[in-house]
Amino acid sequence: MAGSRGLNDSRAVGTADDATETSDAEREPVLSVRGLEKAFGGTIALAGVDLEVLAGEVHAVVGENGAGKSTLMKILAGTQQAARGSITLGGSPFAPRDPVVARRAGIALVPQEPELAEHLSVEENVLLGAEPGRAGLVDFPALRARATTALAHVAHGDSAIDPARPAASLGPAERQRVVIARALALASPRVLILDEPTSSLTSTDVEQLFVTLRKLVARGLAVLYVSHFLEEVMAIAHRFTVLRDGRSVATGDIADTTPEALVRAMAGAAVALRPRHADRTPGEVLLSLGALAGRHLPHSATLELHRGEVLGIAGLIGAGRTELLRAIFGLDPVRSGTIRVHAEMGPAGPPRRLAQGVGLLSEDRKAEGLALDLTIAENTVLTRRLGRGPLIDPRRERATARDFVARLGIRCRDVGQRVADLSGGNQQKVALARLLHHDADVLLLDEPTRGIDVRSRADVHAVIDELADRGKAMLVVSSYLPELFALCDRIAVMCRGRLGPSRPARELDAHAILLEAAGG
Amino acid sequence: MTDTPSSFTARARALPGEPWFGPLAALLVVYALFAVVAPDTFLGSLNLLSMVRATVVVGVTAVGMTLIMIQGGIDLSVGSVVALATVAIARSLQAGQSPMMALATGIAVGAIAGLANGALVAGLRLTPFIATLGTMSALRGLAKGLAREQKIDAEPGWLEELMTMPPPERTYQLLPIGVWVGLLLAIVAAFVLARSRFGRHVVATGSSPATARLCGIDVGRVTILVYVLGGLLAGVAGVLEFSTLTVGDPTDSVGLELKVIAAVVIGGGSLSGGQGSIAGTLLGALLLTFIDTGCTHVGLPNWVQEILTGAIIVVAVWLDRLRRRDG
Amino acid sequence: MTSRRQVLGLIGLGLAAAACRRSAPTGGEAGKAPRIAVIPKGTTHEFWKSVHAGAVKASQELGVEIVWKGPLKEDDLKSQIDLVQSFVAQRISGIVLAPLDSKGLRGAVKDAVRSGIPVVVFDSALDSADPISYVATDNRAAGRLAGERMVEALGGQGKLVVLRYQEGSASTHEREEGFLEAVRKAVGVQVVSDNQYSGPTTESAYAASESLLLAQRAAQGDIAGVFAPNESSTFGMLLALEKARIAGRLRFVGFDASTKLVAGLRDGKIHGLVVQNPLEMGYRSTKALALHLRGEKIEAKVDTGSTFVTAKNLDLPEIKQLVAPDLSRWLGAAG
Repeated sequence: MAGSRGLNDSRAVGTADDATETSDAEREPVLSVRGLEKAFGGTIALAGVDLEVLAGEVHAVVGENGAGKSTLMKILAGTQQAARGSITLGGSPFAPRDPVVARRAGIALVPQEPELAEHLSVEENVLLGAEPGRAGLVDFPALRARATTALAHVAHGDSAIDPARPAASLGPAERQRVVIARALALASPRVLILDEPTSSLTSTDVEQLFVTLRKLVARGLAVLYVSHFLEEVMAIAHRFTVLRDGRSVATGDIADTTPEALVRAMAGAAVALRPRHADRTPGEVLLSLGALAGRHLPHSATLELHRGEVLGIAGLIGAGRTELLRAIFGLDPVRSGTIRVHAEMGPAGPPRRLAQGVGLLSEDRKAEGLALDLTIAENTVLTRRLGRGPLIDPRRERATARDFVARLGIRCRDVGQRVADLSGGNQQKVALARLLHHDADVLLLDEPTRGIDVRSRADVHAVIDELADRGKAMLVVSSYLPELFALCDRIAVMCRGRLGPSRPARELDAHAILLEAAGG
Repeated sequence: MTDTPSSFTARARALPGEPWFGPLAALLVVYALFAVVAPDTFLGSLNLLSMVRATVVVGVTAVGMTLIMIQGGIDLSVGSVVALATVAIARSLQAGQSPMMALATGIAVGAIAGLANGALVAGLRLTPFIATLGTMSALRGLAKGLAREQKIDAEPGWLEELMTMPPPERTYQLLPIGVWVGLLLAIVAAFVLARSRFGRHVVATGSSPATARLCGIDVGRVTILVYVLGGLLAGVAGVLEFSTLTVGDPTDSVGLELKVIAAVVIGGGSLSGGQGSIAGTLLGALLLTFIDTGCTHVGLPNWVQEILTGAIIVVAVWLDRLRRRDG
Repeated sequence: MTSRRQVLGLIGLGLAAAACRRSAPTGGEAGKAPRIAVIPKGTTHEFWKSVHAGAVKASQELGVEIVWKGPLKEDDLKSQIDLVQSFVAQRISGIVLAPLDSKGLRGAVKDAVRSGIPVVVFDSALDSADPISYVATDNRAAGRLAGERMVEALGGQGKLVVLRYQEGSASTHEREEGFLEAVRKAVGVQVVSDNQYSGPTTESAYAASESLLLAQRAAQGDIAGVFAPNESSTFGMLLALEKARIAGRLRFVGFDASTKLVAGLRDGKIHGLVVQNPLEMGYRSTKALALHLRGEKIEAKVDTGSTFVTAKNLDLPEIKQLVAPDLSRWLGAAG
């Protein structure tokens, strides 16, 4: 095991020379997929996918959640096996039984939330499972050397991640770089699959990621780029393939397409974000904050939220927006300042807030927003049980949940299905259903459409509109500006823990907000 | 890698961050306290050696438990394995086997028990707690059955020497051979953990099984191997236990697993895997013996001693958490 | 680096240790009085409390200091070995020991004697020539006594059940054998079960008794008499008889006299109890060691005797002294 990898030590990224010599026109696909099919029980995940990825290109795979992107990636990475169809890698048939085989063949997956062995160092993570050495002992100098080479490929300019740092100390962007470096440390990396790589990155980190990716494809690597952010796809990809309902429905050069065309292909019909124009007349103040400060963040937040109003909070990741919502809801301690909900002053814990009719939609629906092992019905009624005294009434629970499933268009087999089995968009709708069932007056929505597909996003937006019309007050945190414009009556910007004044959305434009968010 | 004087001071400053620093501090504090309270008896070197000897069975078992707990598992069956090993040794001696053969039998019995645990955890995908709760009872029953529900008396031969203090003509040996064997095993285990590919995979598996699997680590194999090693070390502990008891005792070491887990946790181990160190564990085991012996020397009744032991375990682990948050 | 809280934690430890010191036994003003460790098999049985009282009585009479310490885990061989080794390391003046196993303690006792620490064994024998004296009930004689009285009570007729205590426990084994020896002399008496063990605790004894009574159809009147060889097995059997509602319907002879067992005797649920003299045992063994330390010659074997107690003789003063000795007189002093 140790000896076989020795040859490539100095060249973590494989065949750089070949790529520069071959011209675009005559490039052979490094990876090609024909007629891939896969079903889980009765659900068809893939119903015929074709895909061709060339060496030295960034190939975007776009599609709604549930279109089959994850399944396609899992089959390529070897964690699942196709039922029918063929894959060719570098000219020879390829059907990986497990991730080990796929990695050995040069395909590496960078998951949406890159997982590391927290208790090991960066270099140990980079070469995990492929440690150089002899007779079972690790050769530490060689490990350091190979990790350093791999990390250099993902360096931001001159600053590479220190290989000796403990993995637990890394931020999300650094984690991702380490996982990419892990893929590059393979004996002969050919295809790098990135799943929603920018979902937890700041815009600077996204820029840096793109620089890295361009560098890597210039050296002959192929990158399969899966994302919901069409702007990013337009910026980084050379070519694209659109998946819909388990089929590949369109493919081509990015240069020849537009975001609108992509969205049309994904949804099968045009669904676009339209800025809102209709006026709503806000009622009395339901929530008011006076110079609220949390333990770390925010430093100071003052606002008033009225009945029937949607107030958006823009800002960079790490500005303290999530912390603000958590402090209001009582999940994080309040250091100073005032909170008033209805007529009640002072900080309170989540049970009290729920009783007051305040609901929080967490940005982290997997870890916090939902109880993944419970069913749709159980999640829906989690904060307001149906039944008598300490007993629950499962029949009423299910009936209620069925209503919400119909109303929000949650795609599922049955309300008894585990939430963990749903796609991201549908999970988010279940989380929303819980707030609706609780019938909260004040809704704190943290990234309500993060990581969900275009159609689900439109569904969620429609629900938010309807709630505002019914007199609910909503505080929406979103990093996606078009969303804030589409939803909000007013928008305030948070920068480095300080919340700016809120202004009518129609008096603002994206440029002004970005400037304020960046502290300009 | 370069040991300049400045890097030496930097290292000294980094000491409190070392996993074994907390337990070492706790050990020194407890030692100092008892030395002050019972100076004429507790402080002697004879007592120190005696305490080291009394720690060996817990210590060797705890080395195996450290590996298992770093891997993210737990083994509740170690007490039963130790008892079963003493019975197996006694039976094979009774059957006329040589002491060496009996010793090998004891260790093999431990390794097989570990293999069974590993197979249940990795093969049947049972929670380690449940799987080993089952084998804890089953192996205890096996030990009693094999012993026909009585202590088994057998001529121990040189096995008895493993745990007796060296005779006057060999005082340079300082400690019984069994203690040296235990220490050697601990050093080997620490080396494997720090320097071998297998050791790295053990940490990775405990830290994030999903990542380990993705990186091509055969998690099942690592799991089974870790339990086999744990069982093997419990078998070695069984040999040393037999040497102390000189009889095969199927009711021996009831509750040993809790003491062993306490030692690992005091030593910086975590029930959720990924963390722990052999050195810390040994210090933790020694701390437990210090408390036991110290209380005896001071003349405390057993109930006070048990309360004190519990309190010290909780305080030691709590201090360790604080230290980590500081660091 | 060290936070304030850590320092506080250390102070907490310090206080705990200071508390240790305060509860240390009295009379230790670095005096020249020899320190003798008295090690029972356990500390919770009432039997051992009487032994403790006897040891305290001897220590006061002879001006020695005693350290009373049972194995941390009740009836655990390894704990007792550790304890002996720990006292040897302390260089205690002498050890009075009730060995949990006739073989397992040999090594530890040998170590003690090799280090110049004399050992007196009491209650149960040790397979070794190292101890200077053995102070115990002649258990076989006590068992015979129980057997003879059982035969009398049965009128020489009937089926008997013997619940044994635990293998490896020499004292109870002797009692069981003495009992069997005596009852087998009676032609009309038949022992239908003598291979069941009660285990170390009252719970285990109760569980074993219950299944034994069921198996032998005691509730249907198939059994005429039951014998148990020590306090925990007798009490476990008593509980099982009560639960089966047959207490008093058959002859039940047990050992030792705890408050509960004496109450059973008064209620007629127990026919008779063989009572040893634990106070005397603690007294004589501690005294023997103290005298040895003074350089006096002592007997190698001391029998502390046994008495058969029934509801009839229970209130005689000499029996009362045996059954319910005034322990507070001694143990109050030792705190």
